[in-house]
Amino acid sequence: MTAAADLNAERRAAHYLDIVDVVKTYDGIRRAVDGVSLAIPKGEFVTFLGPSGSGKTTTLMMIAGFEDPSAGDIRLDGRSLVSIAPHRRNIGMVFQNYALFPHMTAADNVAFPLLMRGVERTEQQRRAAAALDTVGLASMANRHPRELSGGQQQRVALARALVFEPDVLLLDEPLGALDKNLREQMQVEIKHLHRSLGITTIFVTHDQSEAMTMSDRIAVFNNGRIEQFAAPLEVYARPATQFVGGFVGDSNFLDVVVSDPLLGVARSSVVGELVTAPSALTAGTAARLMVRPESFRIDAGSDPPEGRWNHCSVRIEGSVNYGDSVLVIGRTGDIPIRLRLSGSDAMPLRERDTVRVRWRAEDSCLLAR
Amino acid sequence: MTGQRPIGPLTWLILAFIAAPLLIVVPMSFSTAPSLEFPPPGWGFDYYRAFFSDPRWLQPLLNSFIIALGAAALTMLLVVPASFAMVRHRFRGRALTNLLLLLPLTAPHIVIALGYYSYFGSLHLTQTYAGVILAHTCLAVPMVFLTLSAALKGFDRNLERAGANLGASPLRVFRHVTFPVLRPAFVVAALFAFVQSFDETVVALFISGRDAATLPRKIFDAMRTQADPVVAVVSTLLLAAVIAGVIGSRAWQRRRKRMNAIAFAPQ
Repeated sequence: MTAAADLNAERRAAHYLDIVDVVKTYDGIRRAVDGVSLAIPKGEFVTFLGPSGSGKTTTLMMIAGFEDPSAGDIRLDGRSLVSIAPHRRNIGMVFQNYALFPHMTAADNVAFPLLMRGVERTEQQRRAAAALDTVGLASMANRHPRELSGGQQQRVALARALVFEPDVLLLDEPLGALDKNLREQMQVEIKHLHRSLGITTIFVTHDQSEAMTMSDRIAVFNNGRIEQFAAPLEVYARPATQFVGGFVGDSNFLDVVVSDPLLGVARSSVVGELVTAPSALTAGTAARLMVRPESFRIDAGSDPPEGRWNHCSVRIEGSVNYGDSVLVIGRTGDIPIRLRLSGSDAMPLRERDTVRVRWRAEDSCLLAR
Repeated sequence: MTGQRPIGPLTWLILAFIAAPLLIVVPMSFSTAPSLEFPPPGWGFDYYRAFFSDPRWLQPLLNSFIIALGAAALTMLLVVPASFAMVRHRFRGRALTNLLLLLPLTAPHIVIALGYYSYFGSLHLTQTYAGVILAHTCLAVPMVFLTLSAALKGFDRNLERAGANLGASPLRVFRHVTFPVLRPAFVVAALFAFVQSFDETVVALFISGRDAATLPRKIFDAMRTQADPVVAVVSTLLLAAVIAGVIGSRAWQRRRKRMNAIAFAPQ
């Protein structure tokens, strides 16, 4: 194989599901999806994360074929999906409300895609039974959806979306209707199914913790655009924009002016000179410095460990005890600050006390304002 | 249920007043009197036998069935596509279409009947099955349209999307998903149309003539000429049929609610 062909195959694998400059507008003016591009490798678990109305569901609907892009292209394994009818796309989908057929049993629901593909009757039944068994519902095969709990309906929907071995699996906020314990259990099960089947999966949610625990990569949507497409830890530690920093996890923002982007130095009118992770912003620009609440440590006056540290004083206004940690709310100057401390660190603190805190330069970053 | 007060005597009186004219025909149908009279002097099945052996009664009964079936079928054929179009699409003239579909509901039957009498006369449609079927279809359209569009509005389109997503072409989505889920509403709507036609008198009086005379028209004729007690038998049968129809459609509706509880409000 030539090097060029090799490169081509590599490119093709990295662009298994390729969304190219997709725009969706309903009235020709406002854009529900505004130039979204994503290259999703085969087998990856990608989460579309964003608030409602951010374009994540519309993008999903265009992949499934229920909406047509106004511009751009969606390609699967090199061929364009845009002109292909939804029923010919071979993409599995779990709907937000499951959309199980109420007049069919669980087994018939799962066998439906096989029936549509002309699979022979006994083979349909065998594969449907196997799929129900995979999701732990073998004993419920003859129940109608109304006789199943929310979690069980969810599993039937999952079995139905997987039984025909689709090229891509789409999950549209499938856990939204479940209670907390069941939701966590289903997160683990979906993740497990993904790992054992290796199917390219897109999971839509507005729940950032769900996105964190499940994804290989997260695409953060806002106002019809993708603000960042990266691995969960990177999205959390190095958000690309202030929106991402605020939407994913809890965060503090300080207004600063960049002094030296390469060394990561910025100046705050309230706290003074601050050190941070290096940035691509130019010197002299107004920016925001982001610090996660759990990055703060109590500064007891002893020498900090190796590294570059920042210090400031926080006047305490209140606290919320979560058991495993305590959220302390206060201010430095007039800037609100949220600190997440361990129970033993927070114990001696009282309201209206002023406490010295410090944080590591690498635990903060600069974001364009 | 404790603590509820029983129905008082005045209420009973009012209820009896409402139900009496309906129920008075039932005992009269088992009477032995030579003409309609209440209370009956004796009891028997003579007039039932007379009804079921007299072609002058059986022919209108058959006519009524043919016309009601025809009207129900034609109504469904027209209103099913109409309600899909009205509920799912926005188009120019939609408001006007909606108004026209509901118009027969507001127009007085006697006015409609007069219209058909003169209009169908010139088309040679009076005294024909086709004429009465067309007129009854027109009268059934509003109720059937309202029933079907209400059901359609409550239908979860995600079911159709799921069908397409799982590999069903639009036609197969309708056959395997949309139609089965909406079937109870379709049955109720068709029953509406059937009962409406079976029950209709004014238009039938004007245009059904002798050849296509329906049961209500025959009853009217029989009363005018001779007060034949067989009328009580027919009325009782008609009453029983309509009550059965209403109970039947209620049962379908309950079944539909059960079936769709999950599709419409998943949890």
